[in-house]
Amino acid sequence: MSAATTSPAKTAKVSTATKVSTATRRGPFSYSAERQPRAWLFLAPALFFIALFNVWPLIRIFVMAFQTNSLRRPKFAGADNFAFVVADPEFHTAIANTAVFAVVVVPMGMVISMAIALTLNGRMKGGRFFEALFFIPYLTSVIAIGIVFRYLLNGDYGVLNFLLGKVGIGPFDFLNDPRLNMAALLIFGVWSCLAFNIIIMLSGLRSINRNYYKVADMYGATGWQQLRRITLPQMIPMLTFLAIVNFINSFKVYTEVYALFNGKAGIGNSATTAVFYIFNKFYVDHKYGQGMAAGVLLFLLILAFTLLENALLKKLSK
Amino acid sequence: MKHIGLALRYVFIVAMAVITLFPFVYMLSGSLMTYQESTSIPPTLVPAHAQWGNFAEAMRQAPFARYFVNTVLVAGASTLGTMVTTVLAGFALTCLDFRFKKALMACLVALLMVPYEIVVFTNYSTIADLGLLDTYPALTLPSLASVFYIFYLTQYLTAVPRTYYNAAKVQGCGDLEFIWRIMLPMCRPALFTMGLLLFIGGWNNFLWPILVTNTTDMRLISNGLSAFASESGTAVQLQMAASAITIIPILILYAIFHKHIIEGVAQNGIKG
Amino acid sequence: MAITISNLSKTYSNGYQALKNISFDIADGDLVCLLGPSGCGKSTTLNIIAGLLDPTSGDIGIDGHSIIHEHPKDRNIGMVFQDYALYPHMTVLENVEFPLRVGDHRKPKAEAERIAHRYMAMTGIEEMADKKPGAMSGGQQQRVAIARALVGDPKVLLLDEPLSNLDARLRLRIREEIRRLVKSTGITTVFVTHDQEEALSISDRIALMNQGVIQQYDVPQQLYLNPANLFVAKFLGSPIINLFDLAYDQSRKALTGPTFDIPLDRLDRGRMRDGLARALASGKVIAGIRPEHFLVADAGRTPDFTVTIDSVEMIGRYSVLHFDADGVHAASTVDARSPIRDGDRVGYVIDYGDIFLFDEQGTRLY
Repeated sequence: MSAATTSPAKTAKVSTATKVSTATRRGPFSYSAERQPRAWLFLAPALFFIALFNVWPLIRIFVMAFQTNSLRRPKFAGADNFAFVVADPEFHTAIANTAVFAVVVVPMGMVISMAIALTLNGRMKGGRFFEALFFIPYLTSVIAIGIVFRYLLNGDYGVLNFLLGKVGIGPFDFLNDPRLNMAALLIFGVWSCLAFNIIIMLSGLRSINRNYYKVADMYGATGWQQLRRITLPQMIPMLTFLAIVNFINSFKVYTEVYALFNGKAGIGNSATTAVFYIFNKFYVDHKYGQGMAAGVLLFLLILAFTLLENALLKKLSK
Repeated sequence: MKHIGLALRYVFIVAMAVITLFPFVYMLSGSLMTYQESTSIPPTLVPAHAQWGNFAEAMRQAPFARYFVNTVLVAGASTLGTMVTTVLAGFALTCLDFRFKKALMACLVALLMVPYEIVVFTNYSTIADLGLLDTYPALTLPSLASVFYIFYLTQYLTAVPRTYYNAAKVQGCGDLEFIWRIMLPMCRPALFTMGLLLFIGGWNNFLWPILVTNTTDMRLISNGLSAFASESGTAVQLQMAASAITIIPILILYAIFHKHIIEGVAQNGIKG
Repeated sequence: MAITISNLSKTYSNGYQALKNISFDIADGDLVCLLGPSGCGKSTTLNIIAGLLDPTSGDIGIDGHSIIHEHPKDRNIGMVFQDYALYPHMTVLENVEFPLRVGDHRKPKAEAERIAHRYMAMTGIEEMADKKPGAMSGGQQQRVAIARALVGDPKVLLLDEPLSNLDARLRLRIREEIRRLVKSTGITTVFVTHDQEEALSISDRIALMNQGVIQQYDVPQQLYLNPANLFVAKFLGSPIINLFDLAYDQSRKALTGPTFDIPLDRLDRGRMRDGLARALASGKVIAGIRPEHFLVADAGRTPDFTVTIDSVEMIGRYSVLHFDADGVHAASTVDARSPIRDGDRVGYVIDYGDIFLFDEQGTRLY
């Protein structure tokens, strides 16, 4: 009984074929439902600015990285700039600091944020209120808050040193002691990164199907078991996403340093970061080629992490 | 046992909230102290008499009013411009079909990966080439379109059924009419959030204005503040007042619209 | 207005062939249903008529004038979408008058409102003028959508599965209303549905489609009583038509199956078609017998075959008797008052004058 059913009906009353007057307006401007070139008209304003300020600068970075430092008459410099940057001890410090920042701030920030998010997500009164409070640092000017942190971290009259003194530690001159500059940056970094993490984690926690917990409750699973067996596995894609976003952002740290050390990168550039290095090369020393060579290296590093993120997320979402 | 657990949770959250908020509270408190109070040991927490004069003094020492106007103008123009270009592009990408659409989308996705902190330097060169350094256009032009927000809006619009556009088309509604009368009202929440976040981003922008401005008159509030911080030396109470001037408008916006802002960020994982 | 669809084909950019050279005519004022399973091409056809999709080839004429290169707004059509596409931020009145307030032929506010009110009265939604669509039931939204589609006084009304979002009871009522409305306005209407009952009850003509081909285009009665092919026979009718693979026994001049045989001399010669002889020669034929054409044999009559009833399914005005015809599930219908119960032995008489025969390709033979 496997009758194919596609045969066109022979008996179907097919069109009596009143010949339709042939279409006359077939031309480039005649109507088409599926090809609407006027779309480019709507895209044009956005694409103009994107081309000028996203695409062109990107190309230009690569061009300038292979040229001498002169803006007026740049000459092709081959890989000289890269050789210089790779050998530059200051660049090493920048990369090392960036790495330290990433390795310290990202895990600490994630753990603290997760603790806060999990606590807020429970049956807690005022959860939304606290959520709104924790988000404030995300929206406020890094420069302004950096100035406040300078005050809090001041070696003579800062509140932090006062509190540390109460428990018998310190005083630490966070801002003027080059050995402590990175510590100051790390404290500021962790404090700053919590806001975004908490919001994203909370939205992730809220999207977990409540019924999972109801079933777990029915079977008598403890809160700790529910966290380990339901919450964390469900959160893994989001936590991966956050970890990598945080990682990439730590490669781009600049304003925090500028704010904390009043426009410098700490005492004797001890807290310099990759972007700060590029900024100094480009804007202060006018070594455009070297600055852009460092830019290319940083870009490639960030690109690698972005691609890693995409690959990981794809794998996890399967 | 349950009560202890709950109490511990509150203690933890309140402690973290204090750590989060303390810099803000201390900033406000410090802005009202005398110089002696602000540098006293042990630190003063609450000033004996609120020194409102600190604000006037900070405003006198640096043209914060000018910074304020500059920032409102530049952030406002960038926000408005980005909204316009984004809405037009979002319409084209969700309602129209055209050749190379997929390729274009792929290019835009790729551009999302380009870090702002790197292209900002070559953008400076472009602005310098155009002879626009230290002008309002220099501050505004690069932020008149945003790949990120094009995706943000496109994502929102794809959740709006295409039949709305088809229906309008059959009814004789033109494209601009559709955008104005149907698309904009229908994605108002998304646009509102987008506008808020764009404006706040513009307000806090620092790296770009510090690159392209060099006269005091063209500074935006963040780099005006940072310049003031180095010029005012140890006058901590004035620095706190200046910081407060910078932060308070955003806090007011946030107090009114926190729901929109949090939702917008949570839904799209905005960073930057 | 009359619609002429000629040699219409549509291949999507992913290579899927949605329409394969279909042609049919719709007479002025007719209500025509495009019926078929999902993916059969019915919505594609409607969207091409509306100008929301481009045909790959072929033409569509409205009153002899080709429209496929016209913008939808110039095609003089009104359309109701499956999800209604009512603008949520506008009131009912604003929705209905919207087509009159946009585009090149914008009407003054007062005139647009007057016309809108006329159509709202016609569809019975006048007292809801200031409500937003979100606050209305599905049936009310449906009426708003119809009023909005009609307000521009189009010559052709297109409805894309307009009842699929309504509950069963409402569907019955609204489909009656739609029929009454379009008949009273005299507008030519194309209605897409996958629901055979809906199509049968509402249409002047039905184009039954499958895999991009029109299987049969006819009045509803003919589709049921005189299906063009196996697909049509199977698609229409509930319970579904019973199908049996039979072999032709040359010596006995009968189609033979495990449960019953069909002697050729019992068939109506006048209904036999050209292909029958060829199919008999090949030896294989598919018999299609609708459940109502298995008649329970009266006491005096010799049954054509006897089976045990597996189960009795009470539907309402009739009951369905399920039985097993040597490995093939079959069903017949009897009056609801029938005393037959599960496990009973029942003798059946086949109503030979109303059965169908098909070849293996599904072509109708008898």
